[in-house]
Amino acid sequence: MSTLSLEVFLGALALVLLLVETFVTVPRKLIACAAIGGLLVALVALFFCAKDAVPPGLVEFYKVDSLALFYKGLALVSTIAVLVIALEYAPVINQFVAADPEKTKEAGLGEFFALPLIVCVGLMVMASAVDLITIFVSLELTTVSFYVLVAYMRRSASSLEAGVKYLILGALSTGLLVYGMAWLYGLTGQMTLAGISDKITHWQGSTAPLLFAVALILAGIGFKVAAVPFQIWVPDVYQGAPTPVTAFLSVGSKASGFIVLSRVVTMLLAKDSAIAPQTEQMLLIIAGATILFGNLAAIAQTNFKRLLGYSSISHAGYLLLALACTHTGALGFTPSEIVAFYLATYLPMTFICFLVLAAGRAQGINEDIAFFRGLARTSPVLGFSLTLALASLAGLPLTAGFMGKFFVFFSATLEGNYASLLIAIIGAAAGFYYYFKVILAIHSVPEEKLPAIRLSALSQTLLAILVAAIIVIGVYPDAVRNLLVK
Amino acid sequence: MVTLNHYLIVSGMLFAIGLTGVIARRSILVIYMCLELMLSAANLTLVAFSRFHLVDGLPDYNAQALVFFTITVAAAEVAVGLAIIVALFRAKHSVDVEAAGKLKG
Repeated sequence: MSTLSLEVFLGALALVLLLVETFVTVPRKLIACAAIGGLLVALVALFFCAKDAVPPGLVEFYKVDSLALFYKGLALVSTIAVLVIALEYAPVINQFVAADPEKTKEAGLGEFFALPLIVCVGLMVMASAVDLITIFVSLELTTVSFYVLVAYMRRSASSLEAGVKYLILGALSTGLLVYGMAWLYGLTGQMTLAGISDKITHWQGSTAPLLFAVALILAGIGFKVAAVPFQIWVPDVYQGAPTPVTAFLSVGSKASGFIVLSRVVTMLLAKDSAIAPQTEQMLLIIAGATILFGNLAAIAQTNFKRLLGYSSISHAGYLLLALACTHTGALGFTPSEIVAFYLATYLPMTFICFLVLAAGRAQGINEDIAFFRGLARTSPVLGFSLTLALASLAGLPLTAGFMGKFFVFFSATLEGNYASLLIAIIGAAAGFYYYFKVILAIHSVPEEKLPAIRLSALSQTLLAILVAAIIVIGVYPDAVRNLLVK
Repeated sequence: MVTLNHYLIVSGMLFAIGLTGVIARRSILVIYMCLELMLSAANLTLVAFSRFHLVDGLPDYNAQALVFFTITVAAAEVAVGLAIIVALFRAKHSVDVEAAGKLKG
């Protein structure tokens, strides 16, 4: 079976759900359940998808290697998690979409549950894209859907503001990306990454125009993955967007940006590539700046969601550092596989944080860190999960986050990038400070008693799976490696 | 005789004007127009490169396919973007960038 059929299935399901939403009055929760069901079916079917099963006419544009399958799995899992969080967050959406939330309890929820499916299709196609046109179209499919999702709460000033900022900067990055692609095409005469790679290795003449094109493309993708200096939108958009969408941006959008970046960078850093040294320098500088900025700016934050925005920037820095390596295998991983592994560890810890944030917000607890004081007393299970997730984000040993950072640091050492390694260590140390500040708040004695946060059965299941994933990956990282290198 | 370089200079100028507008202008609508200008610059570049890169005596149509996708995507982006800007106008009665400047830190 080809993975393309999964993408067609999910796209069709999204359209059907949108039509059902419009013409039939069903409880909106059913739409979310149908979407989650469809995604689960696709996730199971993904295990039966063969590598390299691509329809003959599409071989140039669409590639199904183990990396693509892994990223498709990540996209499916994160969409499922986002929908579960969205169900938890539904009252807040309703409050800021409906003109009269008391009368229309379910106004505006249907599209909110159907749109993540369309994003998921974009993410899955992007995992396989090996041609400039396919990359562009799938990237835009996700970006345009995200414009709608970020600005979804149209009666909330901060959601609208986040939407406008994401719109302007997203469209700017699209402009840079297409202009870069146009130049890359013009210089090489090729549209496929394989063809371009071939031209670059036999490059004659000046490399300046080539570097210009590459810099524009890296800038365009840099926006999507939140790399310095293209990270300015992240804190505001993360804070203003509906929490499930923030979670999706932070995991799904980042992962898809990195699969495209992996493929482009692997092509640019290939042996005998005419611009390998310059590209590596560019990546290392961006990575160092991203790690420093993300970690240092996070220290002063008091809003938990905004803090996670800066944390997301810093993690993009570590991922870029891993990508800037050219070795062919550290501990059995290529650089692209280290990035994939890191993203797999990043997924559970981020989703736990956003699940707690979403459930808390729906039950009247603000997003400031101060409001989480004493969470471990009022809701011990949530307190424990959040502590574990934050410790993992910081990179405490025996958690998933530690293994991810370990591989990144190890491969930077192998490469001899000691300056970047030093920056990464400083960043990780700063990380310990601000993540543990939140952990301290969770375990401190509150001044006034907070209401306990309750979770639905579905969210509890998700939480249990995510917590298990953090511990399992932290203790036995081969669990992910076996999925990645099959 | 109009050569490839002429097209590239014009499209480069379009791109630069668009980028300057995005950075310098204060009205979100004008910024949005400048963004469209940048996409048009990219399209012009693609068509020019395609016209001067002959494959079997014909222009290379791969690049022109991308132009059609860019136009379509730009249309979708405008549809969604203008809807968001209208929503912002309803909430703030202004489309100045100042209207979207509350989130900071």
